[in-house]
Amino acid sequence: MGRNNQPKFLKRRARGWGIYRRRYSNWSEEVSSGIHPSSHQQQDGDPETSDAPVDTAVRYAPYAIPPCHRRVTFQKQGQSHINMEREQKPPERKMEGNKQDETSGTWFKIIVPFGVKYDEKWLLSLIQKQCSVPFTPVDFHYEKMQAQFFVENANIAFALKNINGKIWDKNNERISIFVSPSDAPYSVQKELKSEKVKQIKLLTMNKRYDVSQQSLEVQRLHFDPALVTLGVEMVPNPRNDTAASLQIHEESMLKLFPLNLSNMKPCQLAGLSTTMQNASNIKNLNLASNEVKSAGKLDKGKGLKPEEMSADRNSLCTTFPDKSTNISSILELFPKLLSLDSQESRPPTNFGIEAHKRLPTCKGSFFESDALKSLVLQFLRQYYLIYDSGDRQGLLGAYLDEACFSLSIPFNPEDPAPSSLCEYVKDNRNIKKLKDPYLRLQLLKCTKHDIVRSLCVLPATQHDFSSFVVDQWLQTERVLCFSVNGVFKEVVGKSQSSVRAFTRTFIAIPASSSSLCILNDQLFVRDATPKETHSGLFIPVPTPASSSVPTLSQEQQEMVQAFSTQSGMNLQWSQKCLHDSHWDYTKAAQVLALLKAQCKIPEEALTQTDPGS
Amino acid sequence: MRRFRGHWEDWRRRRERSDYFHERPGRSHSGSGSRTREDVVTPPLPEQAASGSQMAMSVDFKTYVDQACRAAEEFVNIYYETMDKRRRALIRLYLDKATLIWNGNVVTGLEALNNFFEMLPSSEFQVNMLDCQPVHEQATQAQTTVLVVTSGTVKFDGNKQHFFNQTFLLTAQSTPNNTVWKIASDCFRFQDWASS
Repeated sequence: MGRNNQPKFLKRRARGWGIYRRRYSNWSEEVSSGIHPSSHQQQDGDPETSDAPVDTAVRYAPYAIPPCHRRVTFQKQGQSHINMEREQKPPERKMEGNKQDETSGTWFKIIVPFGVKYDEKWLLSLIQKQCSVPFTPVDFHYEKMQAQFFVENANIAFALKNINGKIWDKNNERISIFVSPSDAPYSVQKELKSEKVKQIKLLTMNKRYDVSQQSLEVQRLHFDPALVTLGVEMVPNPRNDTAASLQIHEESMLKLFPLNLSNMKPCQLAGLSTTMQNASNIKNLNLASNEVKSAGKLDKGKGLKPEEMSADRNSLCTTFPDKSTNISSILELFPKLLSLDSQESRPPTNFGIEAHKRLPTCKGSFFESDALKSLVLQFLRQYYLIYDSGDRQGLLGAYLDEACFSLSIPFNPEDPAPSSLCEYVKDNRNIKKLKDPYLRLQLLKCTKHDIVRSLCVLPATQHDFSSFVVDQWLQTERVLCFSVNGVFKEVVGKSQSSVRAFTRTFIAIPASSSSLCILNDQLFVRDATPKETHSGLFIPVPTPASSSVPTLSQEQQEMVQAFSTQSGMNLQWSQKCLHDSHWDYTKAAQVLALLKAQCKIPEEALTQTDPGS
Repeated sequence: MRRFRGHWEDWRRRRERSDYFHERPGRSHSGSGSRTREDVVTPPLPEQAASGSQMAMSVDFKTYVDQACRAAEEFVNIYYETMDKRRRALIRLYLDKATLIWNGNVVTGLEALNNFFEMLPSSEFQVNMLDCQPVHEQATQAQTTVLVVTSGTVKFDGNKQHFFNQTFLLTAQSTPNNTVWKIASDCFRFQDWASS
C-alpha cells in the first residue's frame, strides 16, 4: 500500500508535482496499483445501487478528469452514448435504472488493472481459487493495460469484489479487482439478438409503425425503451438502424410510405443509399431538422424516389441564396418529387412533369416519304443481293471513288476479347478504345477498291430482309442518309450458321433518278440475341422472277393458296413461308403471326401482283 | 517536282497560319463570350487544298480524319454527359433545324427537341463503341461534316436497361479562332426496341 508498490513511472510523474503527490498519497489506499483517471469511480458503493454517474466526486481532484468531461462512466459503458439528437434525455437514465433491477441476467464487468501482464489461465485460476463462489468468466479479453471479463450474477460480482487486494502475483505485487455493472458481453448479445429480433418486431416496430399512415419513425430508434429493457445493445450505426428497421419492415409489411428521418445528422443519411435499395417504395421522406448542408449530402439518398419531401429547417434551405436553385437541385436528385415542404402549388409544372416522364413508344422503320421508302428499300435489295451472292466484287459500282468504310464490333468491358466475332476483330475500328492515329487511319478504308477488297474478306452472309428496320434520318438535295438494323447468318467457315445482328449506316448520293451511290458506309456487327435469332424468317432477298422453286404437288399448291388467302401475303411469299416451315401449315402460321406482331412483314410479301402463278 | 514542292510550301504556310500546332483539343474557354461549356470546339480546320496533287490531298485527308476523330471523341463525351446531368442544356448541341429520329419517332426543330428531351426520363448512358468518318464535301456543300456512330447501354429512369445504337451527323461552324460542332441529324434506336 505504500509507495514501494507503485510502478516506477508513477514515481517519476509524482516527483515533479508536489500537490499531485500529496493527493495521490491520499488515494493510495484506494488504488493499490496503477492509476486510471476514471477508475476511482469504481469503488463507490455496491454495484446494485450505483446507477447514477459519479459526478458527485468526493475528493478534490485537480488533475483528474472533471466529471463533466468524463466520456464514459462504467455504468454506461458499452451503451450507445453517441446521441442522435442534440439533448441528453433523462428518461434514458431511468431506463438504465430499470435494467439494473433484474438481478438474474445482470452482467458485471470485472477489471484487473495491469492485467495485461498476466496470462489468462493463470489469472483466472488464481481468482477462482480465492473466490468463494464458483463462476464462469465470459469474454475474457485484454483492453489496454487491463484484463477484463464478465460475470452474470451479482453474487459472483460481490464475491469477486471482496477478493480485491487479497491476491498476489508472482512478484508479490497485489492484484486488484474492480467490479462494475455493465451490459451483456458482446458474445452473449449476439446470441440473444436473433431471439430478440422477434421481440423487437413486436414491441418496437409495431409501436413505431403507424398502420394508418404506413410510416415508420426511425428517429431515436436505438433509444427506444423497449429495446433497452430487452437489454439489446444497438450500436448507433445509422445504417444498421435503418437497415434493421427496414429489413424488419420488408418482412412484415409490403409497403412503406412515409419515412421520417428528421432529426438525424447528415452523416447518418450516408447509410441511406445502401438501405434504401430495399425501400424504393418510400413515397414520403421527412428530412426536416437535419443538418444537411448541401444537396450533395442528400445524394446518398438517391436510391429513394420519394414523392413528398420535407426539407424544412435544413441549413440546405438557407445557405443557397436562391431558393429555386435549391429546389431544382433537390429535384434533380429526387425526380419523382411531387411536393416539397407541403408546397404543392409551387412550380407545379416542375413537380408534375417530373413524375410523369415516360419513354415514347418505339416504332418501326421511318421514312420521310413513300417515294424515299421505295428508293431506299430497292437500293438495299440490290445491295444485299450482291453482298450475299458470294462475290462482292459487284459492289464496286455501288460506291463512289472517294467513299469511306469502317467496321466496328461492340466493346464489352467485362469481356474485352470475345471469340465469337473474331472474323471482324482485325478490322474493328472503335476509336473509344483505339488511340493510335496511324491505326485509326489504316482501319478507315477510303477508296472504293479498298472498301470492296475488305468486304470480300468478311465472312459470307445471308441477310434476312424481313428483319430489316430502316431509319431514314436525313435527306437533302445532295444526300440521303439512312441506317439499317437487321440480322444475318454467316453461312460458311468456323461460325457456321452463326446469327449476327448489325446496324449499317449509309450516306448516299443520288446517282440517277432511281439509284444511289454510297459515300459513307459504317457497319456495326454484334451477336444476335436468342430472340433475334429465332424470330427471323430468313427469307433470302427475293429475286424478281424466282423460278428456283420446284414444282409443287397438288396438296402443296392448295396449302399455298389457303395460306395466301388467310395471311394476305402473295403466293410467292406464302410458298416461301411454307417451304421454310417444311410444309407444316400450323407452324408456318405461327411464324407469320409472330412476324406480324413485330411488324416484320416486308412490303413485297403483301403485294398481290406476282408474276404468273 | 517543283510544282509539288510549291504545293508543299503553300500547305505548310497555311498550316502555320491556322495555328494547327497550338491546338488544344476541344476545351478552350478563352475567346468568344458566346461559347458555353456545352459547345464542342476544336482548333480551326486546315483549308482544303484547291486542287492539289495526290500527296497534298492525302495529307489533308489524314488531317481530316484526325480532326474528325478528335471532334467525335470530344463531342460524344460532352453529349452524353449533358444528356445525363444537364439535360436542359442538350439542345444547345443541335442546329436549329436538326432532326432526331428516336426509335422511329421523328422530332424536328429546336422547340420540339426541347420538349422531347424534357419528356424523356433521366438517363444513365454508357458508351462502349465509337466510330467516325469524315464526310466528303460533295455531300455537304463545303460544310465540314463528320459521321459519328456510337453504341452502348442506357438506363432510363423507370425502365430497364437497353443496348442502343446512335448515329450523328456533326457539322462544323468555323470561325477564325475555332470550330464549333453541332448536330445536324441524330438517329437513336434501342437494339431491342421491339420488346420495349
